[in-house]
Amino acid sequence: MKSKNIVVGIAIAIGFAGIVFWLVKDPTSSFQASIPGEDNRQSAGVIEEIIRIGEKFIKFENRSTEMNGTWTRFRGSDFDNIKKDTAPLKDSWSEEEPQILWSLELGEGHAGPAIYKGQVYLLDYDEEKREDALRCFSLEDGKEIWRRSYGVHVKRNHGMSRTVPAVTEDYVLSIGPRCHVMCVERKTGNLLWGLDMMKEYGTELPQWYTAQCPLIDGDKAILSPGGSAIMIAVDIETGEKIWEAPNTMQWKMSHSSIMPMTLNGKKMYVYSADGGICGVSAEGDDEGQVLWQTNEWNHSVVAPSPVIFEDGRIFLTAGYGAGGMMLKVTPDGEKFKTEILQEYKPKEGLASEQQTPVVWQEHMIGILPKDAGANRNQLVCVHPDDVTKMVWTSGKTNRFGLGPYIIADEKMYILSDDGTLTMIKPDKDQYIQLAQKKIIDGHDAWAPLAIADGRLLMRDAKTMVCLDIGE
Amino acid sequence: MSNKEKNKSNRREFIQKGMRLSLGLSIAGVAGISALRVNADDYVWQLDPFKCVSCGRCADHCVVSPSAVKCVHAYALCGYCDLCGGYLKPNANELSTAAENQLCPTAAIKRKFVEEPYFEYEIIEDLCFGCAKCVAGCTAFGNGSLHLQVRHNLCVNCNECSIARVCPADAFERVPASQPYLIKGDFTAGDDHA
Repeated sequence: MKSKNIVVGIAIAIGFAGIVFWLVKDPTSSFQASIPGEDNRQSAGVIEEIIRIGEKFIKFENRSTEMNGTWTRFRGSDFDNIKKDTAPLKDSWSEEEPQILWSLELGEGHAGPAIYKGQVYLLDYDEEKREDALRCFSLEDGKEIWRRSYGVHVKRNHGMSRTVPAVTEDYVLSIGPRCHVMCVERKTGNLLWGLDMMKEYGTELPQWYTAQCPLIDGDKAILSPGGSAIMIAVDIETGEKIWEAPNTMQWKMSHSSIMPMTLNGKKMYVYSADGGICGVSAEGDDEGQVLWQTNEWNHSVVAPSPVIFEDGRIFLTAGYGAGGMMLKVTPDGEKFKTEILQEYKPKEGLASEQQTPVVWQEHMIGILPKDAGANRNQLVCVHPDDVTKMVWTSGKTNRFGLGPYIIADEKMYILSDDGTLTMIKPDKDQYIQLAQKKIIDGHDAWAPLAIADGRLLMRDAKTMVCLDIGE
Repeated sequence: MSNKEKNKSNRREFIQKGMRLSLGLSIAGVAGISALRVNADDYVWQLDPFKCVSCGRCADHCVVSPSAVKCVHAYALCGYCDLCGGYLKPNANELSTAAENQLCPTAAIKRKFVEEPYFEYEIIEDLCFGCAKCVAGCTAFGNGSLHLQVRHNLCVNCNECSIARVCPADAFERVPASQPYLIKGDFTAGDDHA
């Protein structure tokens, strides 16, 4: 009996000790909270770099041959990435075709060229001299004609340069990696004016530097600095500010570019920022005022530009898991309102990480991102009425990358990351491949393509080549 | 020494030499066979990172718990980005180390500021259980420098790898134990590494 009591006593004592242990012991005591600042992030250095935009100029002995063709800006003159007034282009390539007419070594980046009547304009980064360089080449032979540059320190960060200049008969307008805008006379390269958007508007430098391509509309340069102004218009000749649309939304500059839109006869500029999308009046008494805005399209990295349809629909897409959205802008009294028609993840419909889809035969064609599931990296076609339904895909044996595509003479040229160029016949019913060739042993060939006078300009991170694609 | 004695001595030497030779041959034979057997068996499991589809099954199907499959980092391929698709959740509120922004469920990736605009990412292997969430993010939005590997200090080298049986990409294969890892950057897609 006594021993039994001892056993019971020990059991009670052990039980009690267990309860005390359970109450006292904190099983999460070894846990460590993940809090901001553990990466020891530090702000940029306090030494402010003095940048004199356009301070240097070199004129070379080379000359260009006058040609007729133009590719005046990012996505071309009609903002649709379709070259319309071109001479016939080859439907197939022989072993030797397309011939590389010339090639150039460039600073690492993804800047694309613009072409104007036999001259090529490119905002390059000279890694040796550490300067942004607006370079003018001859389309005929790739020889450099002039170079307007300025010193600016840009570190490698998935490339340095990544914009396409805007060109008119009289002007060339460029934006550098660190938001420096420069306008020069097209024929001479003479500096007209410069603008430091980070300094004047407090622009927050986008990840991997500026990718917004500038817009020239008549006698105005249209830019979206973010910071204190979501959009500004600058006199293209003098650099004087014409209007500034305040950035009350506190959106940031994205990698997207401003696209014009006309709805019910009202012309406006559409900008898809990091934070939302808005339309700014482009004419009339309310010019420079934000007509509509929505933050329903709010993603941290937006690279593709809005695809605008005549009926007020705007197709939006972005990478990093964002997917896509079809938005509709409609007049609402004297103002405009927005309505989401479709919104989805990249596995569920047309999406793109870097390039802007192209509209062809009332359909949209684009390359899906890597997070698009089974159809990843495939060229796909959708109808704008339902962008989640694939009309066709290029199939699992025809996958592409983050590279660009362009349409000319009823041919679509698609550049893969590794420098492989594929030519297809763009069609609303099926994928029709015409030819494919590895042009260069390339790496990160992401820059927009340009076509003029039967020549296609393409580049990878370091090398630009001019291809003869004309018949 | 008579001829008889001389012949006797030669016979003894002959037998001794014969014994030594046969012993030597035996040892060499055994060693050779052993070497052949070792060579034949000296293969280990590894996964081809270029075939891996980041399905997450490596975390759940390994007989070792936590899994012997861990994330490794090919620093030479990394972009050292501030906005890292392998570290941050898509559409993270901010680019910081706050728990709500981290993609890794066990905070097994350490993010360290190097200099503007670069950040270094280091795998804390003890916390990694091979879920491949970071691998999927890095592959989709980055250079693919984060990838999975079977760690041979943890792997028990089962005759039939239980992850290989369920791998949807058929990414598991036997590789020579002398070259047990398929680290990105050291080889490229399609290399014959068997």
